[in-house]
Amino acid sequence: MTSPIIDASGIVKDYGAARALHGVSLQIGTGEFVALVGPSGCGKTTLLKILAGFEEPTDGRLEIQGVDMRGVPAASRPTRMVFQKLALFPHKTVAENIGFSLKLQKVEKGQADSRIRAMLDLMHLKPDYLERYPAQLSGGEQQRVALARALVSQPGVLLLDEPMSALDAKLKKSLQAELKKLHRELGTSFVLVTHDLEEAMMLADRICVMRSGHVVQVGTPTDIYYRPANMFVAGFIGETNFLPVTATASSVGMDVVSPLVAAGKTSIAPEHVSPSLSANGTALLVRPETIRFVKGDAAPGEWLLDGQVEEYFIKGASTQYRIRIRGLDAAVIMDLPGSIVLPAVVGEAVRIGFDPAQAFLLSE
Amino acid sequence: MRIEHKSWNDPVLVATVAPLALAMVAFFLIPLLMTAVLTFQTTQYYRLVWTWDLKIWTEVFSKPHYWTIMMRTVTMALVCVVLTVLIAFPAAYALATRLKTFKTQIQILIIFAFLTDAVLKTFGWILILDKNGVANWLLMHVGFPPEMLNLLFTPAGTMIGMVYNLVAYPMFTIYLSLVRIDRDLILAAYDAGASRIRTFFEVTLPLSRPGLYSGAVLVFVLSLGAFLEPKVLGGGTSPLASELIRQSFETRVNWPLGAALTVVLIAIGALMLAACAAFALRRTSSTGRPA
Repeated sequence: MTSPIIDASGIVKDYGAARALHGVSLQIGTGEFVALVGPSGCGKTTLLKILAGFEEPTDGRLEIQGVDMRGVPAASRPTRMVFQKLALFPHKTVAENIGFSLKLQKVEKGQADSRIRAMLDLMHLKPDYLERYPAQLSGGEQQRVALARALVSQPGVLLLDEPMSALDAKLKKSLQAELKKLHRELGTSFVLVTHDLEEAMMLADRICVMRSGHVVQVGTPTDIYYRPANMFVAGFIGETNFLPVTATASSVGMDVVSPLVAAGKTSIAPEHVSPSLSANGTALLVRPETIRFVKGDAAPGEWLLDGQVEEYFIKGASTQYRIRIRGLDAAVIMDLPGSIVLPAVVGEAVRIGFDPAQAFLLSE
Repeated sequence: MRIEHKSWNDPVLVATVAPLALAMVAFFLIPLLMTAVLTFQTTQYYRLVWTWDLKIWTEVFSKPHYWTIMMRTVTMALVCVVLTVLIAFPAAYALATRLKTFKTQIQILIIFAFLTDAVLKTFGWILILDKNGVANWLLMHVGFPPEMLNLLFTPAGTMIGMVYNLVAYPMFTIYLSLVRIDRDLILAAYDAGASRIRTFFEVTLPLSRPGLYSGAVLVFVLSLGAFLEPKVLGGGTSPLASELIRQSFETRVNWPLGAALTVVLIAIGALMLAACAAFALRRTSSTGRPA
């Protein structure tokens, strides 16, 4: 990571008796795109508001561009925010909305106009929108105006508070692509709050997963997907399977056994073991796409489970099966490539298999 | 919302609107028309004489006395609008944004004061404004000369009563406008670098315009018809239009004159409201919905 533009350490935020953030530390590099992800109430929006200066932390230290932000109001910070509901000024035209910060900085009129037009260009908005009011624009256009308004003052950090949560799926995809392109072109640091880990993985350089006021894991999208710190992170994206195992340390990594599997002990390489592994609820993370139906002999080292098809969903390119296994609470989910002939029907007794050496060992 | 072109052909719509429309015609339009018709009649020996001439209108336009009172009424109404809005805005702002702990209690007190009978409240002010009243007593006890205030039976006394009786209207309308302003808009202004004062003038004030305008209109219309306050607190020394109209009907038993003065007052009010509406629409039409 290059020099951090945001350095937050031990940020605590109390609302009355309730503690929203329990000593959160996070560094964000200059030009980096970081996503704060977590279920609602995890403290991600509170953290963003503290970065923006809308909330004062109860305890902890926040530096932006090397300056202590204690007592610095939002108006004087090098951050700009794109709000969840955009918060465009309804009584100001698009030009007035975008140019508001320039007007406050007393930027000379001609220069301000050219910067507003440049922003409009960057956001692919037509110049005749300048005199319109926000209510006269579509949702996607309003989104672009909100981005333009935040970026026109050339902030060091752009804060985005789930700005795409209200858009339909198709528009969301195209704006996500634009946001990523924008970030690459501008080199501004972006901090995106989202509850959608998939969105975070698509856009961010690094993802900070939060849960009830704690940072659970900070890492690249690859880390988060393939090397999740625990079951919470692993379960946050898509559907996945956890197979309870007993793990013991060995010379080459971890030895795991499952009471459901006859094959016995398998060794898991250290790079397939979560660094924050605890003895509490150890399990193998088995991604749905790594499981297959076993009709003949098992491959060497493959773990086999016998069960019954509970349900299947044809998703087009893939088919999802849910297999009920005796001794497991949740059905095992498997994603198979779509085929013209269904490999199994509901109620059929099946045998499924996966390679435990390719799975990932973690705990609760 | 746009009304459909064929609304006349919609039987359900017509059926639901008809009772209200009929009531409006029966109890508002017809009396108004009767008033207008009355202005073209005359009286003789305290009796209405059914004629059709412009005698009353000639009288109305030739006597400056009536117009002095009309102008005084409009001036009082405008001053009352300014004073009530100046008092109501800070109060509504505090209720909507600042007060947290006693908000409900204060709202309940305001509603109680608002719902208490106006006659009672107006007579209450006599106790305060009288030469030997509470106001002078208090002022004397903090060191001012005795009987320094002499407000009872003056236009200032009338104004105090009017402002007091009407201030709750703009307080409610402005409050409702202020609470509807999304908190994020204020934060967005701070985020763009605006100070608190700048944010107030750039965001809060423009967005509270609907409440300001509707409150002002309510106060203006009600002040034009102020009757109780000039009578009780003004002591009849400088009567307003409603007193003039009452006298024409009751004391002088000159119904056509009373009707003509009523029409004049309604016309003045309507013209001023139309002017204000044109002004307000010009300022707010652009902030509304898509064209």
